Amino acid sequence: MLRMSARIILVTTALSCLSLVWPAPLQTVAALAHQGPSLQTPFVAPNTNGKHTLSPYAPWPVARFRARVIDGRTLQPLVKAEVVIIETEQRLSTDADGYTPWVDAPVLRDPRYRPLVQELHGQLGAIAYKNGYRDSIHLGIRMHEGYQTETTIWMYRIGPGDVRIEPVLYEVPYHHLWLVELADRFRSKSQPGEGPERP
Amino acid sequence: MRRYLLALFSLFAAIAGTELTGPPAAAAQTVFNTAPPAAIRVAIRENNPSGEPDPRGRIVWVQTVPFEEYCKDVLPNEWMPSWSSESLKAGAIAVKMFSWYHHLHPVTIGGFTFDVDNTTNFQVFRYLSGQVDTNQAVEAVRRLAFTLPNGDIMELNYRAGYRNNPNWQYRNAQKMAQWGSEYWAERGRSYLQILQFYYMDRSLLQVP
Repeated sequence: MLRMSARIILVTTALSCLSLVWPAPLQTVAALAHQGPSLQTPFVAPNTNGKHTLSPYAPWPVARFRARVIDGRTLQPLVKAEVVIIETEQRLSTDADGYTPWVDAPVLRDPRYRPLVQELHGQLGAIAYKNGYRDSIHLGIRMHEGYQTETTIWMYRIGPGDVRIEPVLYEVPYHHLWLVELADRFRSKSQPGEGPERP
Repeated sequence: MRRYLLALFSLFAAIAGTELTGPPAAAAQTVFNTAPPAAIRVAIRENNPSGEPDPRGRIVWVQTVPFEEYCKDVLPNEWMPSWSSESLKAGAIAVKMFSWYHHLHPVTIGGFTFDVDNTTNFQVFRYLSGQVDTNQAVEAVRRLAFTLPNGDIMELNYRAGYRNNPNWQYRNAQKMAQWGSEYWAERGRSYLQILQFYYMDRSLLQVP
């Protein structure tokens, strides 16, 4: 009986030692998962003069961004086109080469996917306006902390045959590396479909 | 009898001779006898309903794109532009050698002759989608080719692989894992070390 209780004491001591050792890495992993993707630059909220904040509670990460506006048919740059970043309402104007200046724009990752699969990039929307052209709405621009994003917005001149003039929509697709991960995340063994990623 | 034997022998010799002196085999395409492509023909496939090019969609047209511009418009859609520069350079070499090989081996489907298409059948291509970091990687390896030691141009294949993993199984299959390239780059490996890890018995050569 004494031997048994000694064993129990030994086991509980060992377990308590383990519990001292083990929770640390688990906590670290959980904390990392909660923080989301590793950030190469610290969180810096853009200076919006308190007017156009996305959330009053939290600053959001930003990255450098510029757009290039071209004529969709001639592929020539469009000067003095106006580009509006939808999420922040920043207004930019293009130069002679069709480029807007570099600005800080938010990196917004879809919160639905945050606990499931780390998204590789955030998504941003922009609208380009120019007299004589259809409005171009450009959604899903890939943004990531620590790197500069460029995007090309195509605009189409309004011709005499155009009677119903509506905006042109372009959606940048998700990066396919992320789609591969997302599909693998929920794959079951009984119905693997196309199967996991393999060489 | 000897005369007959001689005639038979000369007949065999003639047959053997014709076999030996048949049409010459095409010379292997190496970096020494092949110039880097100036332009590449990209088949544009029709979009699926969500607006992405469909790998099984019909070919709408064939776009001719300057070769370097093609590489710049592929790399950000295959590798992540936020990844380490050495991973991007390894990717730039793979993208370049893959498309160079297919430029030398064009295909004809549905009446269209092309080198590559714009989907994962070959490499994902979006016109004018180049990013600053990926453009720099393509320019950094502009004068380099990764081939067999004798200069033969081979297709460098790659697949997504798994995140935070060296992806050894891809090395066994002689394909680069895209996630694996980032894994090694984060651990300080250069682009050449990454390429040598996934593709065995290859050489890095200078091209004009």
